[in-house]
Amino acid sequence: MAVESSHEGSGCGGVKRTEVGTQVFRVRGLTKVYGHGETAVRALSGVDLDLYAGELVVLLGPSGSGKTTLLNNIGGLDVPTSGELWFHDLDLTNATEEELTRYRRDRVGFVFQFYNLIPSLTARENVALITEIARDPMPAEEALEMVNLGGRLDHFPAQMSGGEQQRVAIARAIAKRPEVLLCDEPTGALDVRTGIAVLEAIERINRELGTLTVIITHNAVMAEMADRVIHLSDGRVHHIHVNSTRAPVSSLNW
Amino acid sequence: MISLLDIKVWRDLVRIKGQAGAVALVMACGVAMLVMARSLINSLETTRLEYYQTHHFADVFVQLKRAPMQLRERLMEIAGVAAVEAGLVFQVTIDLAGLDEPASGQARSVPDTGEPGLNRLYLRKGRWLSASGRHEVLVGEAFAEANQLEPGDQITILLNGRRQALKIVGIVLSPEFIFESRPGTALPDNRTYGIFWMRYTELASAFDMDGAFNFAALALSPGSNDRPVIAEVDRLLVAYGGRGAFGRGDHPSHIRVSDEIRVLTALSIGFPAVFLTVSALMSHAVLLRLVNLQREQIAILKAFGFGDVEIAWHYFKFALVITLAGITIGTVGGMVLGRWLVVLYHVFFRFPSLEFQLDAGALVMAVVVSAGAAVAGVFGAVRRAACLPPAEAMRPEPPTEYRPALVERTGIGRWLSHTFRIAVRNIERRPMQAVFTVAGLALATGILIIPSCFRDGVDHVMEFQWDVVQRQDLSVGLVEPGDKRVCNVFAQLPGVLHVEPFRAAFVRLSNGNRHRQLAIRGIPGGTLHDRVIDARYRQVVLPKGGLVFSAKLAEVLGARVGDQILVEALEGKRTVSFVPLVALAEDFSGVAAYMDMESLNRILLEGDVVTGATFSIDKAHWAEFLGSLKQVPRVSWVAIKNSLRESFRRTTARSIDLIQRIYMTFAIVVAFGVVYNNARISLAERARELATLRVVGFSRGEVGSILLTELVLLALPSVPFGLLLGTLFSTVIIGMVNTETVRLPLILTSHNYAFASLVVAAGSLVSAMVVLQKLKHLDLIAVLRAPE
Repeated sequence: MAVESSHEGSGCGGVKRTEVGTQVFRVRGLTKVYGHGETAVRALSGVDLDLYAGELVVLLGPSGSGKTTLLNNIGGLDVPTSGELWFHDLDLTNATEEELTRYRRDRVGFVFQFYNLIPSLTARENVALITEIARDPMPAEEALEMVNLGGRLDHFPAQMSGGEQQRVAIARAIAKRPEVLLCDEPTGALDVRTGIAVLEAIERINRELGTLTVIITHNAVMAEMADRVIHLSDGRVHHIHVNSTRAPVSSLNW
Repeated sequence: MISLLDIKVWRDLVRIKGQAGAVALVMACGVAMLVMARSLINSLETTRLEYYQTHHFADVFVQLKRAPMQLRERLMEIAGVAAVEAGLVFQVTIDLAGLDEPASGQARSVPDTGEPGLNRLYLRKGRWLSASGRHEVLVGEAFAEANQLEPGDQITILLNGRRQALKIVGIVLSPEFIFESRPGTALPDNRTYGIFWMRYTELASAFDMDGAFNFAALALSPGSNDRPVIAEVDRLLVAYGGRGAFGRGDHPSHIRVSDEIRVLTALSIGFPAVFLTVSALMSHAVLLRLVNLQREQIAILKAFGFGDVEIAWHYFKFALVITLAGITIGTVGGMVLGRWLVVLYHVFFRFPSLEFQLDAGALVMAVVVSAGAAVAGVFGAVRRAACLPPAEAMRPEPPTEYRPALVERTGIGRWLSHTFRIAVRNIERRPMQAVFTVAGLALATGILIIPSCFRDGVDHVMEFQWDVVQRQDLSVGLVEPGDKRVCNVFAQLPGVLHVEPFRAAFVRLSNGNRHRQLAIRGIPGGTLHDRVIDARYRQVVLPKGGLVFSAKLAEVLGARVGDQILVEALEGKRTVSFVPLVALAEDFSGVAAYMDMESLNRILLEGDVVTGATFSIDKAHWAEFLGSLKQVPRVSWVAIKNSLRESFRRTTARSIDLIQRIYMTFAIVVAFGVVYNNARISLAERARELATLRVVGFSRGEVGSILLTELVLLALPSVPFGLLLGTLFSTVIIGMVNTETVRLPLILTSHNYAFASLVVAAGSLVSAMVVLQKLKHLDLIAVLRAPE
């Protein structure tokens, strides 16, 4: 594993690199194997990684490199086959179903490529649904305001564009004030213009709320907006690139 | 070779096996009911017909006071008569060791030589009477079984007041007594009433009837009508105390079996219809969902050049496979149930052998009706599949439009939780599926109400009969009509609290061209025992000089209050008079006519004559009373209320219990199937939504509660509809049981309603729990990765 740092991109509008906060995730030798015997697929084979509070991390890698598997393990949607995976002092490798549910409910916000909104609930209700069960949520309106959707509170998913739906999904993810925001190809299904609006929303959350944010993408351009870029291949961390400054989303050259 | 599309049908069905199975099971219930009822009808009808043919069951029957044997030849000469059997029949009392009450029955003669020409007996056990037949007797099977009598046992019968010890040599059956019971009673009491056959000479000498007969049975030549024969027989026998001939249609045992067939016929139509409707609705829902899920496959098939008809046929095959499974399970189930019921019928009906015979016609009917129901059910879904243009079908279904549900628009929305909103909006989005679920659960509830309604009706009849109408502890019949003073003798018996006489007189009642033969019951004014009750449960005071009919008799005769009824006495002085019908009475079994006893005796031109008495007995002296009653020679029969009750509990109550269990099973299958199907469809259609909720931190229980909320919202309205449906079903089916033998009142209790609702609720809950188990296996990751 190689660590490199970049010193370019400190021009106009650049965001200063986030101060390194406390360690949130500690990942050691993380392995995930699907199936067994001849059909076994090794999705992760020994990932070592630390993630810190407040930073914005982009996970880059080709299809099948293990990005999503890593994200799902970090997010408590899946349990690793072996290795260590710590969220603070919570051992996610040995957590029970109830502990994982509680972990997802209180600590993690998810954003998916295909939004996954509840079609029968309006924007406001989709967000409020989460605030019903969270410990210390922000009002649904405030969360939607943060993603610039204050004017579309009572629209149903079917009445919104893809970009708008994805921003509702982001609002839903952050309304619970999570410690970590996990985004799996958040712009994968969107065009450039709406994609940028979505990334701006994510960036703003990270900046204003200080939420550890992990974004999966195979779009290398997005690397510039991160504090750190983690390159995965063949289920391992290939190298980590540290940006000295984060490029503003609007300057990303798609 | 099996086409690949057929392999697809099979694999798709395996994938949705739970739901397909639920549909097949509900259908199987309907088929089982159909096969069971039609086959039982078939079994009863063919067995009875065969029995009648092989044992020469007569067509016309007549009882008379006394006629010389030579008159038999005159009966033979009547046009249309093929054979005549003349013999003796007497009411007798039996003294059975081990039975503390007197039993009674009929002693009937068989010819001294050879078998009877008509109404031949079937020997179940032992042997026939010997040539002389001295002190030998054949006993009817029902009585023998109830009293554990075997060939070789001794039995004491009071013949014309003389105690005669007889040896049982054989246990027999007779086509005249398929239903072996005291004349005029709807329920058998085989412990205290039996039929006995003796050689003619022995019986005739005991009753001083040598060379005479008091009973005749006639067989008609093929193609003859019984009407003119009956008229001629009556004309011929007037001088000999003929009590009026009657045909098979009025034969008590024959009527009883026919009534049972009528009830089965009602069941064989009503129930299968209900079940097949539910299964049609269910297969519609299942197939519609399948078609929706397979939009892309349909598009690809069409793009490859499959035609609309081929696509439609492909999806019809799903329905047909399910139907085939339903019919197979249903047929096997129907045969099993049928066999159980046949065993039960043995309690009521005595045939040499009653075997369950599968009705092939019923099978054909089951196939046609259930395939028809399934095809009708899936027609819409299949048409939708066939009509989908390929290009449109290849695109995923457009995102579902939602809007605030009706309840929210009323303004109470802000008090609803989000999970509750999800549930309400989903129900409102798929109104048809909601309607099907509500309808299915309502039907299940309705099905459950019927058997309880039957049971409550029967309970009511029994209570009415034994607590409201008959307040006596027992009734006693005399051998011959006698002077009223016999009551003084009865009153002297130990333990007697109260005695009331009654007078039963055999008559023919006519209103216009409608006739009915029966015994008018003459009751003293101000009776405390044998009361006549009207539809409003008030005692009818029998007016002097007027007739009171049971409502059913009035219906049979087409008579209304105020009509003049022709009363022809069939005994004694054979008077003929017109008597006005003055009131109607309520009763639930048989047909009855009542008169004030004095008025009755007056139109019969007889003095203060009675034919029996009713008793209230001090329970402390019960055994003593029965013991002394056995010694009274003029008593021909005794009916003890509590024995009848007990016997009823052992027979009819048992069969009602069995039927209730069958219905309950069926209703649970329907409730379970409907809920299972609905929940599975919800789960499958909304896997993505539910997985999302799990991912964002909802627990399995919280996600499950959304589905449960939906189910509860559907189950709640199904309750009132179900109760309404059950009431409707019960009204119709109980109405169809309106036979002469028994009529059931429509009794609907809150207990019945509550039980039906609870059983369906419990079935639904268990079913929902089974489906919710599937939430465990919800693949959170896979669902989220797929595009909408």
